[in-house]
Amino acid sequence: MSADPGPVPPASRPLPPSVRRRLGTWLSDRLGLEEIEKTVRGGQVPGGASLWHTLGSVAAGLFVLEAVTGVFLATAYTPSTAGAWASVAYIQDQLALGWFVRGLHSFGSSALIVVAGLHLLQVLLFGAYRRPRELNWMVGLALFGVVAIFALSGYLLPWDQKGYWAKLVEATIAGSAPVVGGSAQKIIQGGAAFGNLTLTRAYALHAMALPALLLGLLVLHIYLFRRHGYTPKWSLPPEEAAARAVPAWPDQSFRNAVVGLLVCGVVAVAVIARHGAPLESPADPTSSYLARPEWYALPLFQLRMLFEGPLEIVATMIIPGIVTALAFALPFLDRGATTRLGDRRKVLGAAALGLVALTALGVTALAKDARDPAYAKARAEEKTRGETARRLALKGVPADGNVFRNDPRYRAREIWDERCAGCHSMSGGGGEKGPDLKDYNSRAWIRGFLANPDGPLYMGPAKIEKGMKPVEASTDDLDALVEFLYAETGAADADAAKAGRGRDLLSPRDCDTCHDFDGEGENDGPNFKGRGSLKWVAAVIADAGHPLLFGDRNKMPKQRTKLTPEEIDELAKFVIDLKGK
Amino acid sequence: MILTPCAMAEQSTDERRAFLKVITAGLGAITAALAIIPGLGFLASPLRRAGGGAGGNPLRVAGERDVKPGKPLRVTAVGARDDAWLRLEKVTLGSAWLVRAVEDGPIKAFSTVCPHLGCGVDFDEKTGKFNCPCHTSAFDLDGRCLGGPSPRGLDELETHVEGRDVLIRYQRFRVGTAKREPLG
Repeated sequence: MSADPGPVPPASRPLPPSVRRRLGTWLSDRLGLEEIEKTVRGGQVPGGASLWHTLGSVAAGLFVLEAVTGVFLATAYTPSTAGAWASVAYIQDQLALGWFVRGLHSFGSSALIVVAGLHLLQVLLFGAYRRPRELNWMVGLALFGVVAIFALSGYLLPWDQKGYWAKLVEATIAGSAPVVGGSAQKIIQGGAAFGNLTLTRAYALHAMALPALLLGLLVLHIYLFRRHGYTPKWSLPPEEAAARAVPAWPDQSFRNAVVGLLVCGVVAVAVIARHGAPLESPADPTSSYLARPEWYALPLFQLRMLFEGPLEIVATMIIPGIVTALAFALPFLDRGATTRLGDRRKVLGAAALGLVALTALGVTALAKDARDPAYAKARAEEKTRGETARRLALKGVPADGNVFRNDPRYRAREIWDERCAGCHSMSGGGGEKGPDLKDYNSRAWIRGFLANPDGPLYMGPAKIEKGMKPVEASTDDLDALVEFLYAETGAADADAAKAGRGRDLLSPRDCDTCHDFDGEGENDGPNFKGRGSLKWVAAVIADAGHPLLFGDRNKMPKQRTKLTPEEIDELAKFVIDLKGK
Repeated sequence: MILTPCAMAEQSTDERRAFLKVITAGLGAITAALAIIPGLGFLASPLRRAGGGAGGNPLRVAGERDVKPGKPLRVTAVGARDDAWLRLEKVTLGSAWLVRAVEDGPIKAFSTVCPHLGCGVDFDEKTGKFNCPCHTSAFDLDGRCLGGPSPRGLDELETHVEGRDVLIRYQRFRVGTAKREPLG
């Protein structure tokens, strides 16, 4: 580094000869410590230290926070469609302090966007983009762009609903660009659709390419800043600013450290208060998720709402493109003699207008969702789904990444599809060879059965010879019989008095010719003691041909030999849950 | 500035700056600790977490008649394993040598993991010994170490014969030590 051949003399502070000094000299000769120290100290701050000047340093500090927490997160993250959500859920809910580290990373990125944005506004206000700092203004804008791509790519990595759908919309927007759109989308996605390559690409970008790019730009940014120095406040004439100059180290550095710690403290408190960053349920491409971008992209989201159909490109490409081009060209468009605010009315006015527009768009987007009951409902549903998924993930996620497989009901649904759906329906359209079980054992289902046992929704498809005849009774009596059967299912809202009246009608209406109600009699029809309860439904699934149930007339294959008792119980619960779905 | 204590204004500028330098360094250190300490806790969490090689239920690895006297049979234990965020239902946990001295005699199982540095031990039919391909440790059919750097004999695994099935309880042990220590 240093071209100095001889030892650097300890200039202003003569120390007694000691090992420490000799070691210091030895290192200095080889590393050029004095020069490094000079660079780190950062020279003088004309016009005095100020809080305005802390923003750049704090933004750089937040980038370091992101880098450190990012490396920790990378030790436990997997970029694959099966493993991404599972590994993030593991970090969030099982790894020691994982929620805190992930929270710092996530909330820290929001803080970085805020602080970098304020820094940009401060530079704009101070006129620090002016000659000779044009290039540094442009490097700063590029840095802001890199931070934005960081945020967008990081958002996808947990592969939860929020990240998946937000990214899907962004990829589609990229795909809508003229000429190159289709190819751009394929490159982002790593194929025709979202998949493993989408994640590995986003991860390589987020964790390798962007950090290198940002670090390079940051070094350039700081080098150019050191070269041209601080821009004093607009109101100070140059001579006065020079007279009031103080050394950056420690006067400005102290303020940087205070604000830096304050910002990190706010981030840490937010992380603790909310127990880390949110994690929604795993990405489900078959769902209709109400996609919303992260807060910093809401203004763009709302802007897109203003342009419909073929004009959409105005919001997604043309307006952002023009604003970006103007921002880069600013140092060449605004070349006044002083940085006084009065001399830069047009620039500052345009910037203020832009800021108001961004805020208005963002607030409109938030206000619209806050008023929308459909939005609230979708959020509440996702909250339940997300909590369920994370609870199930504590048992360990199956290798295919489908955490809902851990839910016994999921297994029941698989069994239904495999063994039941061939004959039964649960959609109200009628089964192939057995009753439709939509709303099974609701009052309406029971009433329908009694009125027409051989109807297409009941035993009709089973084609049972000498089956049950329709019950002929007055509306009142039928109501009572329905209530009696409804009470047998164990329903909590059954009317006991009415059910009792129904019981008294069993004999007069000839029900007891075929059915017993004591749990012991093996009459022609099924014994109705506890009919529709979990135990009874499980018994039917296990072996409907049991003498207590349908006996010789049964046509349903017994499942006892095919399924475990636990599976039969889960299936029975599943069938009972069809009521009220 | 508001952040500077009033008393400091009275001190000389040099003293004030020397103090500010210390405070600045301290604040920087606190900020760094905020991110680094939780991260280190996160990295060190395996030290407090049990697991690794613990053997669960006995697993069927072979038919009892497949194990011939004097002819060790290499078998694979397949079972469930928790691996960080994943719960794997049917994965290979490891392999073992089944050894029987005489027809219808008892069956022993030895882990194929060499107690030296963890390579997979082979059986050499010509010499009738188990050999480690990495560092030439050798073992007899009873698992005793016959030579080479291995600090102990082959690790025996719990074996059951149920009907016609041979079941083993697969387990991993710490390598490189003379004493046999189960992992997990």
